[in-house]
Amino acid sequence: MARLIVMGGGVSGHTAATFARKWLGDEHEVVVVTPNSQWNWIPSNIWVGVGQLAKEDVVFSLAPVYEKAGIDFKQAKAVSIHPHGNKESDKEYITIEYTGQDKEGQTEVIEYDYLINATGPKLNFDATPGLGNGKGHLGEHTVSVCTADHAVHASLELNQIFEKAKKGERQKILVGTGHGMCTCQGAAFEYIFNIEHEANKAGVRDMLDIKWISNESFMGDFGMGGLHMKVGGYVVSSKLFAESLFAERDVPWIIGAHVNKVEAGKVSYELLDGTMGEEEFDFAMLIPPFAGVGLKAYDKEGADITSNIFAPNGFMKVDAKYDAGAYENWKASDWPRTYQNPDHSNMFACGIAFAPPHLISKPASSVNGTPINPTPPRTGMPAGIIGKAVAHSVCDLINKGKEAHLHEASMAEMGAACVASAGKGLTSGTAAAMTVYPVVPDFEKYPGTGRDTDYTFGEIGLAGHWIKHILHHMFIYKAKLKPGWTLIPE
Amino acid sequence: MKQEEKNFEKHNQFTLTMIPGGFAKKMRTCLLFQAFRFAVINIKMLVVVSKSH
Ligand SMILES: Cc1cc2nc3c(=O)[nH]c(=O)nc-3n(C[C@H](O)[C@H](O)[C@H](O)COP(=O)(O)OP(=O)(O)OC[C@H]3O[C@@H](n4cnc5c(N)ncnc54)[C@H](O)[C@@H]3O)c2cc1C
Repeated sequence: MARLIVMGGGVSGHTAATFARKWLGDEHEVVVVTPNSQWNWIPSNIWVGVGQLAKEDVVFSLAPVYEKAGIDFKQAKAVSIHPHGNKESDKEYITIEYTGQDKEGQTEVIEYDYLINATGPKLNFDATPGLGNGKGHLGEHTVSVCTADHAVHASLELNQIFEKAKKGERQKILVGTGHGMCTCQGAAFEYIFNIEHEANKAGVRDMLDIKWISNESFMGDFGMGGLHMKVGGYVVSSKLFAESLFAERDVPWIIGAHVNKVEAGKVSYELLDGTMGEEEFDFAMLIPPFAGVGLKAYDKEGADITSNIFAPNGFMKVDAKYDAGAYENWKASDWPRTYQNPDHSNMFACGIAFAPPHLISKPASSVNGTPINPTPPRTGMPAGIIGKAVAHSVCDLINKGKEAHLHEASMAEMGAACVASAGKGLTSGTAAAMTVYPVVPDFEKYPGTGRDTDYTFGEIGLAGHWIKHILHHMFIYKAKLKPGWTLIPE
Repeated sequence: MKQEEKNFEKHNQFTLTMIPGGFAKKMRTCLLFQAFRFAVINIKMLVVVSKSH
């Protein structure tokens, strides 16, 4: 009998746990440790944030799904990893602290044979003074759409802004990134366009000044160093594509910006050229920077070995090349393939939880030395594919023995399909449908753009919206493990 | 005034980009054309998905 523990039941961990359960015999155990009772299809939080969907439309309870599947569900957060056991035993274990199941605050030790870390990001609001509340949560001055509850709050606040606009009060809306080292610009991008779309529908667009603020050094960087895509027979930069979408909607931008302070109705920021600025707002949605969730690791004697297992940003070290050095030396092959921890062959990380070897975008810092560059995105599709590959590896190690070949899923050999909503509506909605292949550019294989331009494209239209809509239903269906769920690709 | 004239002059950031004209915008929500694009985009996405697994 072997026990696999999956820490984190989000996009990547849920994929890993459900496939592992399907591939492992009943004699083996799959345990999921995750703090929320509900699974959230995060991409649709955007529509919750503009009042087009309710929270209930984007979440479902995990317990019945896991019970039916035969997965042991612990509503708890993982606290520490003990990969060498302790003084009494060599057996590996983790400690957890319950957040539900009527055991709130209780701690427990669970031994494991294999461990998958899929704990995703810590939403590090406190990295920017005023963006957080000083206790690790969202502060009082801005809103967020990163969780379903945040999105509900954002929608209520936005509604008030629309009401004021209807009464003839001009309102300022600011959307973007709340720190120089943020990722996930795509989510903010979707949110600003959905606000614009809803404002038009509500007849208040003329009363709103909507502005974008981002740490990208150019529009359309998206943390991937931008992309070149085939449009109308030309290969064009995502810069032109993104700028065009903003100009069309009369949304000006501040880019290369590190937001360094948030106060009531005002952000302060530093730009790449070193200048400092301020921007006022009545409503702001600023994405926080991401960090690892703060798991600790200890050796047999109880000594802290967190820095051996985790990178300084809190993400878990895997089989990546972390010493590539300067940008000029970066290669596609620096990116991990198996996501196995180099020191512990029974430990893996998938989704946002693994430590990338370096940025994808060209590093940049202001003339004052402040780093201002997007960190690498790990969107839903790569998170799912990596989760599945890691589960496959663990199952083979259990079923075939320790010499089994590990499955590979490098982000430098994997594409991503992204559909960025620009407004909801079955006949009036639009979305930018994009594919990028590979996610991490490979300049040895594609010396010009780093990517295969036959498979890197983007276009905006109603078709994209329909796809986004279908994806919403399809992925929730898949995550609920309804009949045929394995046929739906990640 | 044409939409593109209005937008290009709204902000000096907008002058160096491209703005869709009336026809391009109409095609974005034209049901027949979008049904065709829906099929094309899906096929393209499926190819990318299959290359990634
Ligand atoms: C607003 C928004 C919109 C987005 N839109 C898109 C989109 O359109 N397309 C797309 O591809 N991607 C999108 N993304 C990105 C996508 O959501 C992520 O790529 C994906 O969720 C990453 O999966 P993950 O499993 O690594 O992390 P998550 O899905 O965040 O899952 C991590 C899980 O770990 C749990 N956890 C945290 N701490 C602990 C702990 N200590 N112990 C145990 N468990 C823990 C969390 O509660 C969570 O359940 C969006 C993201 C946001 C924020």
